[in-house]
Amino acid sequence: MAEEVNKTYKVPIGPVHVGLKEPITAWLDVDGERIVKATIRPGAIHRGIEFMARDRNPIQIIYLAERICGICSFTHIVAFVRAVEDAAKIEVPARAQYIRTLVLELERIHSHILWAGVACYTFGYDSAFHLGMILREKVMDVLEALSGNRVNYGTGTVGGVRRDITPSVDKALRDMIVFYKSEFGVFYDVVMEDPIAKARMRNVGVLSREDAVTNCALGPTARGSGLRVDLRWSAPYEAYCDMDIKPVVPQDHVGEVHGDVFDRFLVRVLEVYQSIKIIENVLAGLPTGALMWESKLPKLLRHLKQAEGTGWGIVEGPRGDDSHILRLTAEKENITWWKVRAPTYANAVSWPIMFKDNELADAPLIINSIDPCISCMERMVVTDRSSGSEQIVTKNDLLRLCREKTGRVMGA
Amino acid sequence: MKPRCPEYVKESMDPEQVEHCIRDKFGESVLSLELRERNGGKNNEVSYRDLWISVDKSRFLDLVDALRELDFLHFHIMSGDDTGKYVQLNYHFSLFRCAGRGKRLGITVTVDVPKTDLVMPSLWGRIPGTEYSEREIREMLGVDFDGLPNKNLIFLPEDWNEEIKPWRRDETGPKPEDIRELS
Repeated sequence: MAEEVNKTYKVPIGPVHVGLKEPITAWLDVDGERIVKATIRPGAIHRGIEFMARDRNPIQIIYLAERICGICSFTHIVAFVRAVEDAAKIEVPARAQYIRTLVLELERIHSHILWAGVACYTFGYDSAFHLGMILREKVMDVLEALSGNRVNYGTGTVGGVRRDITPSVDKALRDMIVFYKSEFGVFYDVVMEDPIAKARMRNVGVLSREDAVTNCALGPTARGSGLRVDLRWSAPYEAYCDMDIKPVVPQDHVGEVHGDVFDRFLVRVLEVYQSIKIIENVLAGLPTGALMWESKLPKLLRHLKQAEGTGWGIVEGPRGDDSHILRLTAEKENITWWKVRAPTYANAVSWPIMFKDNELADAPLIINSIDPCISCMERMVVTDRSSGSEQIVTKNDLLRLCREKTGRVMGA
Repeated sequence: MKPRCPEYVKESMDPEQVEHCIRDKFGESVLSLELRERNGGKNNEVSYRDLWISVDKSRFLDLVDALRELDFLHFHIMSGDDTGKYVQLNYHFSLFRCAGRGKRLGITVTVDVPKTDLVMPSLWGRIPGTEYSEREIREMLGVDFDGLPNKNLIFLPEDWNEEIKPWRRDETGPKPEDIRELS
């Protein structure tokens, strides 16, 4: 075995940490520092939510759907209630549509800033990480003012929303817009103009346009590869029907597409500006009127019990499009079946392609770049097949590798 | 096999045209066809459309290939249910994802797979993005996919008893003793 030349090591990243929303295992075959092949194995925390839902009525499932993900919880609710509204033929009042759009965009700002901050942290740019965390607090404050919660807002329901934009929320929103307009540019500059940040993200984890198409990539991952895809534009829903939204793609802003981590970063940062603009539009055009199609819950449940049909709700979440499909059967209180497709489900298919021929030190950044849950990488085991020895590499070791590479790039 | 057309078209067809095209080509094999309008905004105008197609299993691949002539068929997910004699699968696709504002056409293709022959042709060779979903349906509903290279478990634990199919409602589904109630 000793004279073996092309020796590769198998490095599993992930999967286990009890507090995760989307844990995933990546088995990386490495030749020295270079990743030769990657295999993905999700499922460590499949909770059988779709199975559980068979014993619940649509209103009860809202609370289950909200807990699928901690960050894009409202995205899941809107996709779910839209599927119910499609199956049960329910129309949503215009004011409720606008409030849904508003919360969806607040959630996008929250998700994108958090992601951008964590990405900076991953490659050792701690000051940008802290700056990101400070910026994110503002949108969290607004969400708290609106719903009383920083996550899981309990704001959506079948046929409308449960929270209104009161004068105090309106003020918080306008303060937030002023704050981001003056402060977010700093974050944009420190990362986008920084040569080290660019060196760590440029040409890392490349997903070509063709691969993004064939592997059905979504959201910022697809847009980072230059695909003009955005459901808010190609299949508008809620208040997006009244707005002209253009998909954000790198070629429109910097003239070229690389499909790498840098492009995904760029798309997300630019989308924060887009979301601020959308929130301004929502506030300017907020219609008056009812918040719900039917505010009396027993009446709504009766209508849902009589409904028969299959519905499909699909919305553009922060990480890509989120699909919920469900079946309602007449005279049955509970739903018949429900299927959820979160964006990571689709984007994770592209991981093996992004990993190929990258360095092990870039693995955290690449995993992070589609915006899954970074804490998946709690622990990894490095196995030396030739000697049969095993060595536990912790998340900290992996992070150290990633940060040391930044040091090398800087010539430190 | 590499997909023929790894790019999205810029010019879309009207949903009605797509509907006629399918009716003409497939006639009786299309068991039902519904074009559903989705409304939104202040004026509650039609903002996009979904096409729901139910097709005979024997013509499923032909239908998928016919749709692929129009654009690269974007795959979202597969849903399914045990309806008694059949396992019903719904393939959720999109056409014209990149073709302009409000042009995306959601397409759901429903197929009844008889329990006596629980095999479907895999779409993996045509659309690699279907891999996870086909593996999920295989482990959850027990439908095999002919041509799928990786048939390992995807969401269920490594030590799962593969005779239990969690989403089935017959004797292969989970029994009460397999379910642990947490409260």
